[in-house]
Parts: sequence; C-alpha cells; structure tokens
Amino acid sequence: MKKECIAMLLAGGQGSRLYVLTGEMAKPAVPFGGKYRIIDFPLSNCTNSGIDTVGVLTQYRPLELNSYIGSGQPWDLDGSSGGVHILPPYQGAKGGSWYKGTANAIYQNIGFIDMYDPEYVVILSGDHIYKMDYSDMVKRHKEAQAACTISVMEVPWSEASRFGIMAVDGDDMITEFAEKPKEPKSNLASMGIYVFSWQALRQYLTDDEADPKSENDFGKNIIPNMLNDGQRMAAYRFEGYWKDVGTLDSLWDANMDMLSPESGLDLRDESWPIYARSVNAPPAFLGMDSKVSHSAFNRGCTVEGVVENAVLSSNVSIGKGAKVSYSVLLPGTVVKAGAVVEYAILGENCVIGENCHIGGEPGGSEKWGLTVLAPNCQVADGREVPAGIMLDRNAEEVSK
Amino acid sequence: MNGLHGIIFTYEKRNDLRELTEIRSAASIPFGGRYRAVDFALSNLVNAGVTDVGVVMNGRYQSMVDHLGSGKDWDLSRKRGGLRLLPPFAAQQGWGIMPFRGKIEALAGIRSYLEEIRQDYVALVDGDLVANLPMSEIFDEHVKTGADITVVCGNDSFSTADGSYYEKDENGRITEVLYGLNRPRGYRGLEVYILSTKLLIELVDECYAKDLFSWRRDVLRANKEKLNLHCYIWKGYAAQIRSVQEYYDRSMQLLEPGIRSDLFCAERPIRAKGADKSSTYVSPDGSCINSLVGEGCNIEGVVENSILFPGVTVEAGAVVRNCVLFKETVVRKGAQLAYVIADKDVEFQEGHTMMGQATYPVVVAKGSKV
Repeated sequence: MKKECIAMLLAGGQGSRLYVLTGEMAKPAVPFGGKYRIIDFPLSNCTNSGIDTVGVLTQYRPLELNSYIGSGQPWDLDGSSGGVHILPPYQGAKGGSWYKGTANAIYQNIGFIDMYDPEYVVILSGDHIYKMDYSDMVKRHKEAQAACTISVMEVPWSEASRFGIMAVDGDDMITEFAEKPKEPKSNLASMGIYVFSWQALRQYLTDDEADPKSENDFGKNIIPNMLNDGQRMAAYRFEGYWKDVGTLDSLWDANMDMLSPESGLDLRDESWPIYARSVNAPPAFLGMDSKVSHSAFNRGCTVEGVVENAVLSSNVSIGKGAKVSYSVLLPGTVVKAGAVVEYAILGENCVIGENCHIGGEPGGSEKWGLTVLAPNCQVADGREVPAGIMLDRNAEEVSK
Repeated sequence: MNGLHGIIFTYEKRNDLRELTEIRSAASIPFGGRYRAVDFALSNLVNAGVTDVGVVMNGRYQSMVDHLGSGKDWDLSRKRGGLRLLPPFAAQQGWGIMPFRGKIEALAGIRSYLEEIRQDYVALVDGDLVANLPMSEIFDEHVKTGADITVVCGNDSFSTADGSYYEKDENGRITEVLYGLNRPRGYRGLEVYILSTKLLIELVDECYAKDLFSWRRDVLRANKEKLNLHCYIWKGYAAQIRSVQEYYDRSMQLLEPGIRSDLFCAERPIRAKGADKSSTYVSPDGSCINSLVGEGCNIEGVVENSILFPGVTVEAGAVVRNCVLFKETVVRKGAQLAYVIADKDVEFQEGHTMMGQATYPVVVAKGSKV
C-alpha cells in the first residue's frame, strides 16, 4: 500500500543514563508528566501530523513498551491501513543480528518500509519531549528539494559543544555538520529528527552496511556521508519546547517545566493533544488536611499530606503529615505518614515507609544530586536516604 | 462462555432530575467526577464475566450512544456477542416517540433480540443504579437457591423516588412487593434481577398479550405466590439517581473514604471512557481540599468539599464550596459558588455569586453562561 510518508521511531536504546529507571524497561516507556510515557510524544506528534504509519524499532527490554503500545488505539494508530508496528530484530534465511546502530536498525527494516513504498521517511527518537508538526517539516523538505532535512534549534552558545551542530547557508541549507564540536561554528543544534527521501536514504543505508568500518549510525555515518557527497541537506528550524530526557536531571527538569506552561511545555493546550494509554482508576482525592501547591496529580491519587512543586502520577498515595516537594513520583508509589521526600524521582510502585527522609535540598555541594529509587523499591520506616543516593529495587545503594 | 446475559435499561428520564436530564436519560448522567451512571451497570456485568450486553434505549439516547460507542472501554467490542445497542426497533404503538409505560413494553420492543440470547440466564439492570455489585456472587446464589427470580435489594436507610420495596421471610423468599409508599419499609429494590432467559420470554409474552406493562406489579407482585422470588441483600453503597437531591446527596457521600473504597474497590474496577486530558494542576495560590478531582483541571482558586469532573477551571480568587461541577466548567476570577451542580461547559462569570442550599442545590443547565 502506497503511503507518501511514514515514520520510523528508534526505541531500542537502553537509556543507561537513566540508570535504575530503565533497569527493566526501555527509555521510551519511562513515565513522564504524571500520565504519559516518553513515547507518547513522538506517537502523538505523528498522529497529529497526519502520519498514520509508524514503525517502532525495539531491542532493549521491550516488554513494557510492547504492551503499552498494544494495538496503537490510544494514538489512533490502529487503522486498517498502516498503524503502529513493533519492529524487533529478526532472523532471516541467512541468519540475523541485533541492531548494530541507528542506521542499521532502519537498514534491517528496508523490507517493512518498501511495503509502503513511501516518498519520505521521518526518523524519530523515543527520548524527546516536544510538540512538533512533522508535516510542516516534510513541506520544508519538499520545497527545498532536499534528500535529507534535519530539524534544528538554536541553543545557547555555551551549550553548543554538547550537541551535533549544523552550519547553514543563507537558505538554511546545511553546509557543515560537527558532532559535539569543541569550537562550534553555529548554535544550530540537531534535534535528532530527520526527514529523508526514501530512495536516497535506501541507497545510503545499503552502502553504509557494506562498509565494515562504519558504526552504522545516522549522526556519525549517514549524515556526514550525504554531506560529503553534496546531497541537498536542508535545516528545518524548530521554535518551541524540546528536551532530550536521556538523563535523570533532564527528566526531572522536564517534569518541572510541565508545571509551568511559561516554560513552553503546555500540555493543557488541546490544539495539539498528547495522547496516552489511560489508566483505569477513580478521580483523585485530596483530603481535608492536604495541601497541594504548584503540583500536578492524576487519577487514583490520594493526598492527605503536603505536596509542593511535585508531579504525582496515577495511583500515587501521600499519607497524613507526609511532605513531598520538588519530586517526581511515578505510578503507584506510596509515601506513608510523616515521610519527607524532596528532590527525588521515585520509580513505579515504590513504598516509602513512615517517617523516612528521602533526598535533600541542593546545598551548593558538588556532590549534591537527585535521589532516585528503582521501581518497586521498598524503604523501611524511618530510613534516611540522603541527596544524590540511588537505590535499587531491593533498597540497596547503587552508584550512578 | 459465562451463562449470564446482561440487559441494561437506560430509557428512564426522571422529571425530578430537572435540567440534568433535559438532554439525556438518567443513565447517562455524569457521576463521581469521571463516570456516567451506566458505567456501573456495565462494569458490574463485565466484572462478573458477562460477555454479551444489550442496552435498551428510548428517547434522548444520543448522549448514551456517544458514550457507549463500540463498547471498547468495557471490553465489549467483540466479534461474537459484546455490546448491542437496542433503540426501539419493533416500531409498534409509537415506541421511540412515546416513553415506555414499563419494563415489559421495553422488553417486548426487543422481543426478537431476546430470542437470540445465547445464555441461559439474564440479568436485568437499571442504568441509573450506582453501585459496585458482586454480580457473579449474586448469579451463583441465584443458581444455588433455585429461585425463579432473584431480586437484588439494598440495605440502608436511603429511600428513592418511586422506589420498590420488598419484605422477605427467613429463607430470603419475598413475601411482599411494595411501591408508592409514603413511608418506605422493607428492603429497597435496586432494580437488578436475575432469571432464566426462558422464563423471561414467557413472562414478557404473557404480560404483553394482556396489555400488562409493569414489571413490579404485573410480574413480581402478581406472581409472588406462584414464583419463587428470592431476595439478595447488598449491604454496600447503592445509589439510585432519580432526583436532584438524591444526585447531590449521593455525590457528596463519595467524599467519605469508606464509601469510595466500597464503590471503587480494586477487585471490581469500574471502567469508564478515557479522556485525553493532561494532569490536574493546583497553582501556588490555589487550594483544594476534601474534594474528588478529575484530570485536566486547573485550580487557581479555592475548592472545598466538591466534586470536579475533567477539565474544570477555577480561576484565582474564585471560591467553590460543596459543588459538583461537570466537564469543562469554568469559574472565572472572584466568582463564588456553593451548593451548585453545574452541567457541562457552564461558565460562571467574573465576580458572580451563586448559592444553593444543602437541601436545595442549584442546577445550572449545560452550556449556560451565568
């Protein structure tokens, strides 16, 4: 079935910099913003952009992600033509292999893409929080008659050396690309979102696969090769909120950003809805002695204590006299009476015993950091877990 | 396959519900900050393993049709069986335009559907009952006692408008069928019945042939000697939503933890349609206590002792006390509300005050600007 444009979503990464949060699930399945998972953002962007065919490439710990995506119905991606497809590595007659890199993952699924015979393929990552109209980017790609279009955004010059940086000409055509340059020539950073003309990409993937020295990576191999060959490469400027939530700090930051729509991340704006698979639970209940301030909460929450500057996912419960501040609590976590949680990310279904003290304020010390608990971690009554500590599911300290 | 079939009646439009049923039947009234009344009947059946459910509708059923859709939210979108919407299709006697005089007429209107039922037993359930009933236990008891009809009754001090009441002997057999009582006595009928499919069809045919239409009068009371009518007593929360006062009082009961854990017990979850809303947010100056709050609300003012459905906005300086606000209600800056039930999409303008009483809550019709 012919489609003009399909999307391929790279969701196989482990997300090792999220440490214990991705111990048992791939990064795109990590809960975000109280009711979403990270993958809801690219999937919702696809459906809002009119892209009805999405391949999701999975590899690391895919169970949680697979069951979350299911038929694709929450994102309207369960149509009879197209829809969402989970694409794990597979065996062929001549054997098979794991996805060796981002480009190899797409290479191994050339057959899938060819089934739809698209003009354009959008390549997406499963670890970014943003709202973007991909159809506008495809329009730019067509108008520029490009082989590849890369979405870019201006970042502060001081941070430019952390990104893949593009140099562009007067028409915003890319002239140079440098991965994490020490002396950046521009502050236009790649957001890891690409539109390719499929026939061009198909050729480059095939050539790349034949090169034994290649790392089979878009940023390291495919993009530089296309530039070197003088292919038309367009930049697509994105203005708006975008955050890579690949680290604990950035995941926490993005959650806090959601509380303040001035940050640019306005999830209440219904003109570009972010869809999620919904959890079946009764409405939240805020008790007589509760105090909730500058915080978000969800279905199934029960709050009897104090919650400030915090994000409570579904089915979180906060006991009497407990205080939660500057923290992100993932679904099903229970904070018992009298406990204090500050500057922390608590994984799913954690139990914080009575009068525990989890985390601490930043005191200017260099060793300070968020306190992070693995999913299902149970902390015994009265225990203190200082700032910067990470606990595994057995409530034992592990290093970051 | 489970041996029980479900039929839910959703056609009642109670005048005592005033503006709340102007646009819908009682069964599609929003309840509890997220649900429609009919969600409870559907969930009770589905939680008991029932796979086939017919929903009888008549008059103002568009809101019900919108809500139920394919039945997917209750896992009732199936190749075989699943949810069947039953608008009046045996077009006799002006059905569809005229209200049914009673359940018998409603059942006679779906006579051919009754013939197709694959299960040996049928549960008849009213769509305006809000309760979390252990239907599989009730079904087991029906089979075990060998009753002809099991009548589920509540056991609390609540009465309901136009209620039916039952007296029973020590074996649980019903001895009296009462209605139209000024002072209720006996057990309050919850309008939930289990009987065999065969008996149901016989009773419907028999009554219909004699132009009898009332289930409680012409089936239950008329046959209480001949048939073994068994009373199942449900001790938990069971609200029949038939008047504004009942609606309000029963809603406010949900602020008690015991009632919530009974109605929303984890073993038998109440399923409802999802809503694509973000998290609910309370601002630094906002305050919200002793309230049940749906998702996607934005609270910058003061909310106390209230029930907010999804997408409600309470602006800074506004005060909402003892209210039930349906989806997308907007309370503008400085507005003050007490004892108000606001239907969907109502806007209370800046500085406006509206006060009802606990014994006379004010109802504001859908889409009003106050």
